[in-house]
Amino acid sequence: MADSRCSATRNPFTHTETPAVSVAIEDLSKSFGKLEVLKHVSFQVEPGEIFVLMGPSGSGKSVLLKHIVGLELPSGGRVTVDGRDAAAAETREQIRLALVFQAGALFNSMTVYNNLALYLREHRVADEAGIREKVMRALQILSLEAAAEKYPSELSGGMKKRVAIARALVMEPQLMLYDEPTSELDPVMAATISEIIATLKDQYHVTTIVVSHDRDLALNIADRVGILMGGQLVFLGTRDELRASADPRVVDFLNPKIDLANPRFKQLET
Amino acid sequence: MRTLTRVLEGIGSTLQLLVQSLSHVPTLPRQWGRFIEQCYLIGYTTLPIVAILSFFIGSVLALQSGYSMENFGAKQFIGSLVGLSIARELGPVMCAILLAGRVGSAIAAELASMKVYQEIDALETMNIPPARILVLPRLAAVLVMMPVLAIIANLVGWFGGAIVAKYTDFIAIDPPAYFAALRRFMEFKDVLNGLIKAEVFGFAVVLVSCNIGLNTRGGPREIGASVTRAVVTSLILILVLDYFVTKALL
Amino acid sequence: MQNSQQTARVGLFFILGVALIWVTFETLSGGKVFKDQGYHIVAGFTSLKELKTGDEVRMAGVKIGEVEKTRLAGRRAEALLRISPDVKIKADATATIVMAGLIGTNYIGIDLGSEAAADLRDGAEIKTAVTPDLNSVMSQIGELGKKIEGALGNLGGALSGDGKSPGIIQKVDQLVTENRENLAQTTGNLRSITDKMNRGEGTLGKLINDPVLYTDLQSALSEIRGGANEAKTFIANAQAILDEVKRGQGAIGALVYDQKAADDLKASIANFRTVSDNLAKGKGTLGQLLNDDTLIRDTRAIMRKADRALDGLDDAGPLTAVGVVANGLF
Ligand SMILES: Nc1ncnc2c1ncn2[C@@H]1O[C@H](COP(=O)(O)OP(=O)(O)OP(=O)(O)O)[C@@H](O)[C@H]1O
Ligand SMILES: [Mg+2]
Repeated sequence: MADSRCSATRNPFTHTETPAVSVAIEDLSKSFGKLEVLKHVSFQVEPGEIFVLMGPSGSGKSVLLKHIVGLELPSGGRVTVDGRDAAAAETREQIRLALVFQAGALFNSMTVYNNLALYLREHRVADEAGIREKVMRALQILSLEAAAEKYPSELSGGMKKRVAIARALVMEPQLMLYDEPTSELDPVMAATISEIIATLKDQYHVTTIVVSHDRDLALNIADRVGILMGGQLVFLGTRDELRASADPRVVDFLNPKIDLANPRFKQLET
Repeated sequence: MRTLTRVLEGIGSTLQLLVQSLSHVPTLPRQWGRFIEQCYLIGYTTLPIVAILSFFIGSVLALQSGYSMENFGAKQFIGSLVGLSIARELGPVMCAILLAGRVGSAIAAELASMKVYQEIDALETMNIPPARILVLPRLAAVLVMMPVLAIIANLVGWFGGAIVAKYTDFIAIDPPAYFAALRRFMEFKDVLNGLIKAEVFGFAVVLVSCNIGLNTRGGPREIGASVTRAVVTSLILILVLDYFVTKALL
Repeated sequence: MQNSQQTARVGLFFILGVALIWVTFETLSGGKVFKDQGYHIVAGFTSLKELKTGDEVRMAGVKIGEVEKTRLAGRRAEALLRISPDVKIKADATATIVMAGLIGTNYIGIDLGSEAAADLRDGAEIKTAVTPDLNSVMSQIGELGKKIEGALGNLGGALSGDGKSPGIIQKVDQLVTENRENLAQTTGNLRSITDKMNRGEGTLGKLINDPVLYTDLQSALSEIRGGANEAKTFIANAQAILDEVKRGQGAIGALVYDQKAADDLKASIANFRTVSDNLAKGKGTLGQLLNDDTLIRDTRAIMRKADRALDGLDDAGPLTAVGVVANGLF
């Protein structure tokens, strides 16, 4: 499985020789017991596109991402990656995809360095020296060199998130999924992440899906934006269309007014 | 009915995990480091408790049999009784029970927390099957370490019996006589029998604990529940397997 | 690094385990450590009974090897014996399967053979003898019991008479009444003799009161016990004699049924009295035996000789059925 990846001309963070993949979500429904989390969601993500998925907390964004990597199975409809069923194990063998988990999901028993190196070692992407080079490069980009020999439990929340992103980067995926990559980061680091995402897209044509509440990120780098509310897609369009949208739900979601005279939690009570 | 389906589900997923792990056997040489680490945890660190417990089991066995056999003048067979019971039954079963308590619980806890904190999910998105790097090295390690633990348990147990047989007033049998009796009715077959049992038990304990750990659902609270379940299931399994393996080996 | 230390520990641990398993294997499966030491001889039996691999081979009670293998060879069972190299077995030595106790631990006993005979070579076959096992012993004892019962029945008839002629008891009664005085005197003499014996005077007295001699005697007696199956023949003979007695033939027949013989008896009892008188006074050979210390040493020496002679028989196993039982039980 390592053979196709060992070509000498590969760039560090993506595979120019393998084309970017598309993602198709067709009439996807998901319920946990009686709780319906996703209700007939359909959209397409084109190869090489940056798709930003927004929506209130608990609207089902993370669940949707898990369907794309095959960690959850649909209750109805289907999800395909490059035409292949996302739920099938073979898909993950043929398409390299990386998911930056919302909570990081770092391997707690390993150092940061080994967290990053695990994928490369297990798939024999390079020899130990090559692995070292790739890992250090990724750590450098995310200003993590000092943390290389630390364990996840010794890191701050934002550092964990950056390690998770670095771990996804070293995988050099064709499809990159971020679950709230900037939520715990300071504004500068958040901007850096946005830049990395945009760079990967521009130079290496990686298909990217970002779940984020970060309006700056969405309005600056997204090719298209989807807004999920209550398990349904209420908006789907380019960032210009998003800015121009008159849908009150969208407007309120993007520019919520902090109304101290009439707080939202009091409105709910009546 | 619910319990039955859960038991069947458990058996099914355990066997599935076994097959998955076996399919990764060719990668074992590459996982030498993990294998050694697991050998260390499963074998080396379990040794002291195994030694202590088997010593006292041997002693108590000698004491009890000495007490009851004295009545009909069969004291000189204490060695045979202690030797055979430890080699064929108590040694392997005790090792397996300690393994369940010490290693099975640790495995279940570790894998359950990896599951709960999405580390397992992360492995799967990386196309690194947990069966390969988490289960297989442990299974290999227990296969290598279990006979070692069991033979040490046997020998320590025998010596425990010998010491008690010598220094208890109403028994007072010298070690040479004790070991002569031990050898008289025992063949290597009996010891081998015990080692095979230990192997089967150890393998089952590790496999079941891995499976329970990997199938944990929910939050951190479930980690504890998984550990309990792993240990209880292991203990039941040891005793059930004991019956069948004993029967098969008779 | 810590990693290499861990590897070393695991390696050490594993080697320790393998070594222990190996040692256990060697000890329990008959010390194969010494596999190449010693030579083999073959012993063929009709049945090996309880004999199993690893049982001992003993010569004169000393362990000289063990049973390495048991196998069927045609119509007989063979035991392959491994004998330690420094022990020579004579070609005329005999091997028997010996039961060392009732619970069925066995060994192969080989006797010393004769000094002159050649040594057995590696792979040679040793002569064997069959010893009765416990079952056949028991059935023999059963038969013996029946015979004794029959003989005692006859004896009972002879003793109590058959109605017409008086039985032995009546006759003896008469005899005793007629000779009361003589008998009383004899008894008195006997008493003084036994008194002397009790005090340890004279050879017989020593014999009875000397503990060393006693143990010698004891061991001789226990071997004599081994000869008890001759009792069988004896009882058969006794029966024949009793038949003769009934018919009035033979010495006892005459004694019981013949007046003249009774008179003779009276005379001989009178004689016995004079003899016992003499004995008490220390006259004659027997008298000397009873009153003189010098003979004791000779007796002791004889006892030792007898003991040694009996010892030689040990390894051939108990010779008789009763002997086997006695050995098994005690
Ligand atoms: N494994 C699960 N079992 C049961 N319910 C679940 C499970 N995973 C998610 N849910 C439920 O599905 C709903 C959507 O969860 P999800 O994690 O997708 O929210 P989200 O949109 O990512 O929110 P946030 O922005 O806070 O991360 C929630 O109500 C959650 O309780
Ligand atoms: Mg989420």
